[in-house]
Amino acid sequence: MTTIWKEPDGEKFALGSIEEQAHWQKEYQRILRAVREEADATRPAERIGRDSHTVGMALPRNDALYKVRGKARYAANIPMEGALFCRFARSTEAHARIRGIDISEAKAMPGVRAILTADDIPADQLLIGTLTDDTPVLAKDHVRYSGEPIVAIAAETEEAAEAACLAVEIDYEPLPMILTPEEALAPGAVQLDPDGNVIGDLKLENGDIEAGLRAADVVVEGSFVTEPVDHCFLEPPSGLAFVDPDGVLTVMVCTQYPHYHHKQIARVAGLPMEKVRVVQTVVGGAFGGKMDNTVECAIALLVLKTGRPVRMLYTREEVFTATTKRHAMKIRQKIGATKDGRFTALDVEYLADGGAYRSYSLVVGGRCVIHTGMPYRFPNSRVHYVATFTNYPPSGAMRSFGVVKVAFALESLIDELAGRLGMSPFEIRRINGLVDGDKTSTGQVIHDVGLLKTLEAIEPIYQERRKALAAQPDDGLKRGLGIACLGYGIGYSGIRNPSTARMRVTADGVVTACCGTPDIGTGSDMSLAQIAAQSSGVGLHRVRVVSGDSTKTDDSGPTSASRTTYFSGNAAYICGQDFKRQFEEAVARARGVTAAQVRIEDDRIVIGNERLSFEDACRLISAEIEDICGYGKFDPEIEASILTFKGNPYPTYVYATHLVEVAVDAELGRVDVLRCWAAHDAGTIVNPTGAEGQVDGGVAMGIGQALWEKVERRDGVILNPHYRDYLMAGAKDVPLEIKSIFIQNHDRTGPFGAKGLAEVSLIPIPAAIASALHDAVGIRPKRLPMSTEYLLGLINERARAAAPAAKAAAGDGHD
Amino acid sequence: MTIEISLQVNGVSHKFAVSPTETLVDLLRRRLGLTGTNKDCGMGICGACTVMLDGLPVSSCILLASQADGAAVTTIEAIERDGRLSPVQEAFLRHGASQCGYCTPGFIITASALLAENPHPSRDEIVEALKGNLCRCTGYKRIVEAVESVARQGGPT
Repeated sequence: MTTIWKEPDGEKFALGSIEEQAHWQKEYQRILRAVREEADATRPAERIGRDSHTVGMALPRNDALYKVRGKARYAANIPMEGALFCRFARSTEAHARIRGIDISEAKAMPGVRAILTADDIPADQLLIGTLTDDTPVLAKDHVRYSGEPIVAIAAETEEAAEAACLAVEIDYEPLPMILTPEEALAPGAVQLDPDGNVIGDLKLENGDIEAGLRAADVVVEGSFVTEPVDHCFLEPPSGLAFVDPDGVLTVMVCTQYPHYHHKQIARVAGLPMEKVRVVQTVVGGAFGGKMDNTVECAIALLVLKTGRPVRMLYTREEVFTATTKRHAMKIRQKIGATKDGRFTALDVEYLADGGAYRSYSLVVGGRCVIHTGMPYRFPNSRVHYVATFTNYPPSGAMRSFGVVKVAFALESLIDELAGRLGMSPFEIRRINGLVDGDKTSTGQVIHDVGLLKTLEAIEPIYQERRKALAAQPDDGLKRGLGIACLGYGIGYSGIRNPSTARMRVTADGVVTACCGTPDIGTGSDMSLAQIAAQSSGVGLHRVRVVSGDSTKTDDSGPTSASRTTYFSGNAAYICGQDFKRQFEEAVARARGVTAAQVRIEDDRIVIGNERLSFEDACRLISAEIEDICGYGKFDPEIEASILTFKGNPYPTYVYATHLVEVAVDAELGRVDVLRCWAAHDAGTIVNPTGAEGQVDGGVAMGIGQALWEKVERRDGVILNPHYRDYLMAGAKDVPLEIKSIFIQNHDRTGPFGAKGLAEVSLIPIPAAIASALHDAVGIRPKRLPMSTEYLLGLINERARAAAPAAKAAAGDGHD
Repeated sequence: MTIEISLQVNGVSHKFAVSPTETLVDLLRRRLGLTGTNKDCGMGICGACTVMLDGLPVSSCILLASQADGAAVTTIEAIERDGRLSPVQEAFLRHGASQCGYCTPGFIITASALLAENPHPSRDEIVEALKGNLCRCTGYKRIVEAVESVARQGGPT
């Protein structure tokens, strides 16, 4: 018999008493007013002081009020009396048969309340996954990576659970390991998955590649290698599960997609979906790394087994060793162009390390294939992407779904091509860059393309810095400039992914907008509130966004693929319009006038010459106020073949040009990124504070991936499962001179013209840095990360090649 | 085996019997419910668990509770005063220096300790002080700008 536990008060934040809540909201409104008054000094008169018109205003986020006070309830912070703590006993083998699991000693340990193995889960409920159900909640008789969960133990304390996991005896029969995609594809290789070792084999062809190469006056080619990267969200995966007073199995968890877990948990637990609720907690960063199952299913099953609430928080070591990673990838690429710089051909092969299970390998593949050649016109192209299984943790989604590597290879070769043709890096991109009405490689005709505007915004800065660098006194460092561009599709690739929103109002005038996509730390709840307020005409201060709760919101897809502002923003926009119409009609009925005579205007209700406050209007229609339910669904037509990718895979695209300035110590191989300018066409910017914050963070992450970040792997083991050895950028490592430039190119399909931004600010950075290194010291890096050792090797190799033979023989490797 | 310690936490005196391996972060979070101090790396590298110990910022995940015996601990919960945000907290809010927010309490403690010691730090001094706190969302720029804005005011933290 499962005990019923009262659900925690104030789910996302420790809000305190009603009086405290009122007090702090007043404080927030005071600060918001101060910020708005400062901003009003530079705004057109007609926009000043309009409560509902805030799209485009730099505003502090409502949730930050609680975050700066330490009141944010990340899942590990939710108080719950009597909660057990769960830990996994994980595989110590990268590839093995499990001959036996002995839990007898663990069972007898103090504080242990339940032990769960795959045998406790019916076989047809054991497998879960994102696109394909291929990943066991707990490994049954076969482990495919070191760190794979095998046994879940719930105990009275974290320490007791940990100790019991250590007491679990697992008898392994080691199997041959597959450590690279090449090994996976080799004839006679051991088979990791029942369906073979290939996760995906994707192709996209456009025009005639051979003819394109024949038409080229110049062909450049290169092989690129990128290493796996960790998301390094600061909050490790965590969750709390319990049975609520209505008998609903409630799982509160940090996730990008609560509705996905809702379906999975119901299936794994064998419960009807109405008996399961998934609540997204405040998320401490995600970046694509909180889209797969981690703690969810285990804690849910342990609640059913023990009748007690169960919580779990991964250690940092578990994050590094057992959560998804960015794919390691090998890229072979060839570009052909005419003498006057027009691209004629692009031929690319990708070989990706998908790790032990499928996760998002196919999604990453689809995105890489479609984005190969973006944002340029290539009349002839051929793309081939293969992802295989290996015995490492699954590779999954991470900020840009692989496109950062596509851009690294393509933009590096374009830079090389420009050099060969004696053209400026701007000229070659201007000649080939996509413009309105162009067709992409999938045959999609695109509109509102701001790519060239981003180039135009960056070019004068480049010229100015070029002059400044020429005048720079010699300090022994070599300085260089590099640019890179991107075009990036918003939302799922080639399949429909609608978002919905609902808006209601209470008799005392509080408007609630329920949006399915959760805020994962980006500030999307704030942007959605701004859009809903402006669309409906009600004041921003009265709009409360509820997001990411399987009971309170519809499944609107995940917060991923930079889709929330565009998809959920459009849903909120449509919903706001619907709400406005229903509200105006209700007021008209109450007053006996026609609906055309009533309108909501900047948080007031105008009826002919009369003006009512929103609250008075709510009182006026109180008898039918509960009937008002604004609804908005945004479901743009998206259609692309899953075999050829031909069609319209995305409703719109974002464009960017980034410029970086680096200083290189050629003797040490040390690189400092001194400055960065990031010009984006992300459409209208809804909240510049949030948007610039995304860009700053994306640039910093891009610098880390360019120069330092690498999950070190050997023989099936991750060697650096900690910040101490995995080098994530700190405050001293990245420039504070990051300048965001927003083109504000109105998108005809976006809410108030907005597109998206979150992932794209990262994508051009590694390529821009690589080109800046070429500019500074003449090398052409083709590996990520561009480690000190690697760069020093390239610098010395170049010096040796340039030096006279005698000097080289004397061993003088310095430049 | 347990060790008797006395600890002043956010101005209130407590006595605890702690195990020799109990860390300060666990004591604060589990026994006092002060969950504003977040836990991440457990190795004193990320700074998410930073608290003030007698006015100095420390990583509470690698400090044993017994080592803090007799000290005064200040956590994020005691940074606001009389129902108002501290200048550092307000600056973080206004400047958009908190995104996912997991690192935020640690940064605010570190910045508050810096400004108490040096009310007008230079940009370099701010960056130097913050180098022990990791943030994955903001790229640090807005955090440094927020602290700079308080340093310019030069008021109490």
